[in-house]
Amino acid sequence: MSEKNERNERNEKNETKTLQKSFFAPLLGWKALFEKPVTIRVPKEKREAAPRYRGFHINDWEKCIGCGTCSRICPTDAITMVEVPDMKQEYGMKPQRPTIDYGRCSFCGMCVDICTTGSLQMTREYIFFSHDANDFYYAPTERGLLDKEPSEIKVGWTRDESSELLDLDRILPDAMESSERIDSFVEFVKAYSKEQAVAEAARCVECGICVDRCPQHMRIPEYIKSIWKDDLKDALKWLLKGDEEQSNLGANPLSGVCGRVCTHRCEEVCTISHRGEAVAIRWLKRYIVDNVPIEEWNDAVSFDTSKTDKKVAIVGSGPAGLSAGYFLASMGYDVNVYESMNRPGGVMRYGIPKYRLPDEALDKDIAFIEAMGVKILTGVAVGRDISFDELKNRYDAIFISTGLTLGRSTRVPGSDHPDVVQALPLLREIRDYLRGEGPEPKIAKRVVVIGGGNVAMDIARSLARLQKMKYGEVNVTLTCLERTYEEMPADLEEIEEAIEEGITINPGWGPKEVIFFPDEDKIKGLKCVKCVEVFDENKRFNPKYDESQVSYFDGDMIIEAIGQAPDYSYLPEEWKAKIQFVGPRILTNNLRQTQIPWLFAGGDIVNGPDIIHGIADGYWAARGIDEYLDSNGNVEK
Amino acid sequence: MMNSMNDASVSQELQKVFEELKSMFGSCEAVHIDARQYKLIVPSDKTLGMLTYLKSIGYSHLSIITCVDWIDEKKFELVYILFNWSNGATFLVSTFIDRDRPVFYTVKDMWPTAEYYERDVHEFFGVEFEGNENCKKPLMLELWDDLPPLRKDFDPLQYSKEHFPDRTYEKDPIHEARIIRGDIEGDIEGGEIDG
Ligand SMILES: Cc1cc2nc3c(=O)[nH]c(=O)nc-3n(C[C@H](O)[C@H](O)[C@H](O)COP(=O)(O)OP(=O)(O)OC[C@H]3O[C@@H](n4cnc5c(N)ncnc54)[C@H](O)[C@@H]3O)c2cc1C
Ligand code: SF4
Ligand code: SF4
Ligand code: SF4
Repeated sequence: MSEKNERNERNEKNETKTLQKSFFAPLLGWKALFEKPVTIRVPKEKREAAPRYRGFHINDWEKCIGCGTCSRICPTDAITMVEVPDMKQEYGMKPQRPTIDYGRCSFCGMCVDICTTGSLQMTREYIFFSHDANDFYYAPTERGLLDKEPSEIKVGWTRDESSELLDLDRILPDAMESSERIDSFVEFVKAYSKEQAVAEAARCVECGICVDRCPQHMRIPEYIKSIWKDDLKDALKWLLKGDEEQSNLGANPLSGVCGRVCTHRCEEVCTISHRGEAVAIRWLKRYIVDNVPIEEWNDAVSFDTSKTDKKVAIVGSGPAGLSAGYFLASMGYDVNVYESMNRPGGVMRYGIPKYRLPDEALDKDIAFIEAMGVKILTGVAVGRDISFDELKNRYDAIFISTGLTLGRSTRVPGSDHPDVVQALPLLREIRDYLRGEGPEPKIAKRVVVIGGGNVAMDIARSLARLQKMKYGEVNVTLTCLERTYEEMPADLEEIEEAIEEGITINPGWGPKEVIFFPDEDKIKGLKCVKCVEVFDENKRFNPKYDESQVSYFDGDMIIEAIGQAPDYSYLPEEWKAKIQFVGPRILTNNLRQTQIPWLFAGGDIVNGPDIIHGIADGYWAARGIDEYLDSNGNVEK
Repeated sequence: MMNSMNDASVSQELQKVFEELKSMFGSCEAVHIDARQYKLIVPSDKTLGMLTYLKSIGYSHLSIITCVDWIDEKKFELVYILFNWSNGATFLVSTFIDRDRPVFYTVKDMWPTAEYYERDVHEFFGVEFEGNENCKKPLMLELWDDLPPLRKDFDPLQYSKEHFPDRTYEKDPIHEARIIRGDIEGDIEGGEIDG
């Protein structure tokens, strides 16, 4: 083959190749035009995301409590909590909801993993476009970013055990078993160890939902954080000084007491309780107070005060009186507290049993209050040892917090017998006896307690202990109108512990009469009839009975624990007539000022029903008195 | 191929490998993950030898090199994931190195792809691989000027705040949400999915 031929041939081949190519190639291309593309034609065609896809957020506004935990964990600062106007205000929630900036969000899902209520979720939605940057900032609702029917939204990423970011289980303090605790009045719940306290503190997400619920608005997240940092002096400062920028709001001079026996409403709303157990706020508070020696308190807590020349008298050294005294002293006033009993503390000293609140805890709190300059004059009853008018002449303002000192009787036939006694005086006698300041009270072998509240539990459990210590066995029957444990006003915890200690509880019975042994002045027991309804349609106390159902409870002694009433006999008629009463309680303004400008009041005679409300009353009254004495006029609030 | 072997025979085969490894490298902890997955924890001076051996007996696919920051223990854990195409089994070879002096050796001569995995581990954890001259070249994070971001002591929130200042939006997202929920009436405009 010549060279030329060779080249020609090659050319020919090439030509056919190019020919073929130019002929077929477009065809292939055209064919592809009619085939389905390999790529997905977003957004006309939607590709389902994986079941665990972390797409756009949705938030159930009914479930969300506005705690802001999602916003605090977000590593890109994408979530801002924004107030919702006109949202219903309730304890346990804040009127705000999270808003998310998708210009910042990295779709990590941590907000979903930590969401305390489980309201915040991620969907499998991921397609959205807009030219307007504003559209990427939104508040997720049930309808999501794309405003869809909730039933049409597929949920994506969901928290599971390994991505859970909350610690849901509470660290329980050590406590004595019922068989051991019934043998004495020793405080049966032990204090947290440091390890326990730090671990419990670490469960708090610092949302502050509890702060709104606390009547005194204690700085709970702040002191819990200080425990976590193991800075107990700082924690104590938060307890005793509260928020220094807000006139010490949140301070509680009876923190050692409250760390043991507070009704702890804060825990009922704790954010963690939605999916787990509430943070043990009360026990953490006790841990702080117990672990800073009293010698170091002054170091941790001092007030800048300039002395005034004004003097304030306080009547009653219960929580309200002591609290008012503390705050007034911190403002530089000269404070004298008058107390008819031999020791200060009111119900904390003479009512609450020792196994819940030992004297030493109360003494530590009171020692600091006295160190602040509050003078407590015990054994001086106003109206008996010094007249109210005398106080009026000697002082520039008066705060009364005399509590509910009178018992109430069922007044059923036979209740005037000396072995039918009221809970309060008996609790008082027991406490005096236990501290070696009084004779042994009468301890009957069989006791019937009437009442379904915490006071009934306290007296029943105290008597059970005394019976066990004296006779080796418990025989206490408790009966009340309320038909179930849930309906009973006592805490469920108290009821459970009482049952553990051997007390028999018979709810749903109304006392009818005291039964005596024939021809003997000796009580045999209590006759009761079935209680079918405690409250009427208007939720008013109005019990109804079925007299055909009768029950007898055996007992040599009957204790009435059905409520207390105030004793205003120390108030001269002249002043009593000027005060406005609502039922047995005194009406005041927000600063606890009565209709008489120089007279302020608080505690159970104004609000109640517990220690922390009394402390809050003392705080506000101190501010009110300060304002009154500063202006020497009326406090308008 | 992979499915042609059942779990029992794979497990038998793996048992043999463990014995070999033990005789060659002394103590080596094997953690069972599932029938075809085991984690091998080896001292760092034996890691390269073990990788070489495993490669030679069929565990030749290096799926990835990754790292875990054990900040409290002051260690970085390097993890090499090796896969065997013939029996479908995987070994996670793990070794702990000093967190304060995070240097290890490259394996790019055994697996060229390792160059990129090592760059990735360097970028996100700050571990250097001796012998990989490109180790410090940025892979994904351009102009990064902070701690390697997957270290536990890196603070993502602070980083976001510093590098991405908040912008203000001209809308009230809560107002919009209340309209969407039907709590109040009103109009909203905005982007749609159909563009
Ligand atoms: C048995 C019992 C158990 C309780 N348990 C708890 C509990 O666990 N947690 C809780 O938070 N709350 C509890 N409470 C409720 C709580 O104790 C009260 O709400 C609180 O003590 C009210 O405080 P106060 O300052 O109003 O008065 P009180 O504590 O009642 O103190 C009033 C003081 O004023 C004195 N006083 C009265 N008249 C005069 C006078 N004329 N002159 C001088 N002094 C006078 C009294 O002697 C008394 O010391 C309990 C109550 C009782 C009865
Ligand atoms: S964490 Fe959950 S409940 Fe709390 S504000 Fe965020 S979305 Fe609402
Ligand atoms: S997904 Fe992550 S980045 Fe996005 S908002 Fe939630 S926590 Fe923030
Ligand atoms: S104690 Fe509970 S409610 Fe209070 S700040 Fe902590 S997590 Fe929130």
